Formats: sequence, C-alpha cells, structure tokens
Amino acid sequence: MAPEKASALSIKAPFFIGRRGAVLIVFVLAAIVSYFSLGLELKTLWPSEGGRSIAAGFFSRAFSPAMHAEGEFVPANDPPLLQIAAEAAWLTFLFAAAAMGLALLIGIVFGFLASSAWWRGDPQGAESAAVKWLRRTLAPAVYVASRTFIAVIRSIHELLWAILFLTAFGLCDAAAILALALPYGGYLAKIFSELIDEASPTAAAGLRAVGAGSLQVFTFGLLTQALPDMIAYAFYRFECALRSSAVLGFFGFPTLGLFIRQSFNSSNYGEVWTYLYVLLLLIIVFDWWSGAVRKRLV
Amino acid sequence: MAVDRQETISALYAKRPRDRFVRASLWLFFLLIVGSWIAGRFSLTEILSARRLGNLERFLNDITPFDLRNTDWGITDLFGWAAERMSESGWEAAGATIAIAVVAIFIASAASLPLSFAAARRLMNAEPFLPNGAAPSRARRFMWRAFVLLARILLILLRAMPEYLLAFLALALFGASAWPAVIALAIHNAGILGRLKGEVIENTNARSLSALRGVGASRRQISLFGVMPLVLPRFLLYDFYRWESCVREATVLGMLGFASLGAVVVDARTREKYDEFVFFILLGCAIVVVGDLISALARSIVRRAS
Repeated sequence: MAPEKASALSIKAPFFIGRRGAVLIVFVLAAIVSYFSLGLELKTLWPSEGGRSIAAGFFSRAFSPAMHAEGEFVPANDPPLLQIAAEAAWLTFLFAAAAMGLALLIGIVFGFLASSAWWRGDPQGAESAAVKWLRRTLAPAVYVASRTFIAVIRSIHELLWAILFLTAFGLCDAAAILALALPYGGYLAKIFSELIDEASPTAAAGLRAVGAGSLQVFTFGLLTQALPDMIAYAFYRFECALRSSAVLGFFGFPTLGLFIRQSFNSSNYGEVWTYLYVLLLLIIVFDWWSGAVRKRLV
Repeated sequence: MAVDRQETISALYAKRPRDRFVRASLWLFFLLIVGSWIAGRFSLTEILSARRLGNLERFLNDITPFDLRNTDWGITDLFGWAAERMSESGWEAAGATIAIAVVAIFIASAASLPLSFAAARRLMNAEPFLPNGAAPSRARRFMWRAFVLLARILLILLRAMPEYLLAFLALALFGASAWPAVIALAIHNAGILGRLKGEVIENTNARSLSALRGVGASRRQISLFGVMPLVLPRFLLYDFYRWESCVREATVLGMLGFASLGAVVVDARTREKYDEFVFFILLGCAIVVVGDLISALARSIVRRAS
C-alpha cells in the first residue's frame, strides 16, 4: 500500500468519492429532504389569479414610478411624495449610521477582549506574580464571557431584537438603534478578534525582542496588521446596516420599509417603485463606496 | 548623528504608504456617525424614561413562564416548560427555518454559477488567455465588455434589496407557502454568491488555463475543465458561509406569516404570551448557533480535503 501511495503519479479510481464529494452529496440530499418537508411544489410557483393580477399591476409600474402621491384619498396636508421618500431615506441612513457608531464601540471593546492575542502575556515571563495570577484566573473568564456574549448578540437577528425592544420599551428611536447596534456589534467583534488573532506573529516577536511591552506589542505588532481588513469590514457592515435599517420600517419605524409596506398594502404600486428606487440608489452608492475602499485596502 | 536619524525617520514618515481616498473615506465615515447622532437628536437614555421603564417592568414580569408564576419552581420545571413549548411548535418552526435556508442556498448556489462566469472579465473577453495571433476587433471587444457589465449590473440588482423586503413582495405574488421566503433568500444570495464566485474566477492564477487555450480549447472547455475544478472548493466554502446567513435571515422571514420561527414569535406576541415570546427569540439564537456549527464543520471538511 505504502509504495503506491508514494508514487506521484498514483491515479484515483474513477468516481472516487472523496470527503468533498461526500459533503456535496449530503448538501444535495439535504436540499431534497428540505424541499419535501416544507411541502414545496413547483406548480405553486405559478401564481394564483389574484397573485397574477397583483404581479401585473406591480410590474407594470416598474418603469413609471409615481412622482406624486397616488390613491383616491390623499390627505391635503401630506407633504409631496418625493419629500416623504427623501425624508425616509434620510432617516434610514441616520439610523444605520448611528447604529454603526455604537456597533463599532461594541466591536472594538469586545473584539479586543475576545481575541486570544489580547490576553497573551510576555512569553519571557517578565511579569510580576500578581499579573501572572490575574492572567491565569481572570483572563480565561473574561475571554470566554466576551466570546459567549458576542455569539449571543450576533445570533439574534436584528428584527428579533427590534420586536423584543418594541415590546419591552415601545416604539422609540433608541429601540431601532439598539436593535441594529447589538447584532452588528457582535459581528464586528467576532471578525475583529479573528483578524487580530490571524495577524502574523513575526512582527510581534520582533517588537518583543527589542523590549516593547505587552500593550505596545499588541498595538504596533498585531493591530496595525489587522487594521486594513478591520476598516474594510466596517465599511461592508455599514452597507448592510442600511438594508437592515430600511427593513426596520416594516415594524413601524419611519424608515423606507414603512412607506413601502403602506403603499403596497393600499395597492399604490407606483409609489412602491418610487421608494424602491430611492432605496436602490442609497444602497448602490454605499455599495460602490465600500467596494472602492475595500479594493484599496485588501 | 542623532539629527541624521531624525531626518531619516521624518523622511520615512513622509513616504509612508497612504491612500487619499481611504483617508477621506475614514474621515467621512467618522463624521457621518457623529453627525447622525447630532442630526437625529438620538439619545439612548430615552429608554430610561419613566413611561418606558414602566413598560419594561411589566414586560419583565410577564416573561416568567406562566405555568410557573407564583410557584416555587426549579430548573427542572423550567426545562419541562421549555420542552412543552418545543413539542407544541418549537421543533417544527426550527426545522422549517433550517429547511428554508437549505433549499434557498441550493437554488442560489446553482443560479450563481452561470452568473459568476458571466461576470468574470478574465474569461469573458474577446480572446481569453490570448496566446498569439490576430487581435480581436474593437467591436468584439466592446460587445464582451458590455456583456460583463450587464452581468455585473444584474448581480448588483439581485443583491441590493434586503431579503425581508423581497419576501414581503413575493408573499403577495405567491401566497402563503414557504416559496416567498425561499425565493427572497435565493435572489439575494444568488447576487452575493455570484459576485464572490466571480472574484474567485478572476483571481485564479493558473498557467493551466493559458495552456488549455494554447492547445486550442474553447471558452466553454476552459470554463468547464480548467476553471471549475480549480474553483469548486472555494465555491463550496462560500455556499456554506452564505448558508449561515440564510439560516439567520430565515428565522425572521416567518414574521411575514408563513412557517418559520418568526411566525411563532409574532404569534406569541399577539397572544401576549411574553414568556413564550422571549423563549422563541432565544430559540432563534440557538438555531443560528447550531447553523454556524454545522457550517463550520462542513467548511473544515471541505478545506481539509483540498
């Protein structure tokens, strides 16, 4: 067996299913099982008559979005449609930006605490007994606690946070900002900690060799390496925050989602398209921006 | 000597790599965040006002499991209560959530394959891996550029809209089944996977592709037999990575009114059963954690095999 394996020209049997093939087969099987367990049928993909008439009404307005409020009854003191759309887009952006600020704070603090590099001591052991004792007892506890904390806040979807805060506090701006900031902070913290831990240890070792302290090693040896990727990721998250912020409107916050839902439910499809195009514009601008920054950094 | 070194340091500092665009972007990013807190007059202490705190107190009273209120309950009672909620609707909702994510990522993965190839400029130009011979005409070059541009615009449009919004629109068209959720997730993720996979194709730097071209392979042959085997492991990794986010997103899509976790969360809220409401939100957290674990396992297998 061994000599054959050593040969560089050993040829696999045809249709040999490797580990990757096994994963692929499990993936396909899971899709088939899921398809039937959900009771999905291809024929229900063809919309019913009601669905078709909605679709016809909706898509016929794709290239003629409304410029003025539609519907039979428009309150006289309502601002013009485009102004409503602009204000909704502005609030969508405001909630996203405010939440990103808070999320960055959470991400930086817990990203550091949840990275193992932060807790790594001086390998030469040039530290007092008290510090050593703290590192042995306190550090693992804080490390595990912060990792658990960021896993939990990240795993609860922002809309679940939103509905939780809505129920706990009622409708207010802070509820929307917290709902976005907690999961996004968790995501940032997770990625930040991973980036710091993946940084190559050579620079850190060099700094340590010339006598830098633990904090200096962390800041100039590891953080500087991870920083470009951290910034790139923060920009990417900003773009995601805009999308989430728009969707928060479905729960009553005054962002674009609220107006999309209202107009759609009252069959003013022209208005829906106006809001959709505004949202699309907002997202494409940030998509381009974050993409341009990422391209230069990564 | 000391002055010399100082000068060298300043010269090095002046020459350090920096990018004006990135610096300006960082400042703008910072200003936007600070500006948003000022312009929106946001304040987090708002939730500490008397009315909101009263609201919170009532809510916190209500999240103790109803059956256990005013009893001397222990941890086993809590587990018993949780098991009851799970068999009532929890398991079913959790299963549906995972299943929606699996079907959606399967469709998205399949749909993103042709899209990713179409968006890869390295492959989709007039003469991929041009060996030598006649340079392509200007018109043909232009046609191929337009083709790639169209594919990229399509990818942006697919991924631009948030899943929840797509599901809301799809619900009106397809009616209440799991399709709206599946379709919404599939559209958004096909856009994202298409771009990620397209970048993988752009970055394959294998001489074998030029060699294939050199011996006369067509674009289709290079794609199928040269590119595909090289990029497939990476593609699978991305599929699983996006599946995680599909699971997370699927937990809430049910809020629109079809079977997934979100449906039972909203249901518990409208029945004012806040104990169940919080329990199902925590269940959502657990589903996402389990999804992450499965995905991490699958990705480590794929990675080790390559």
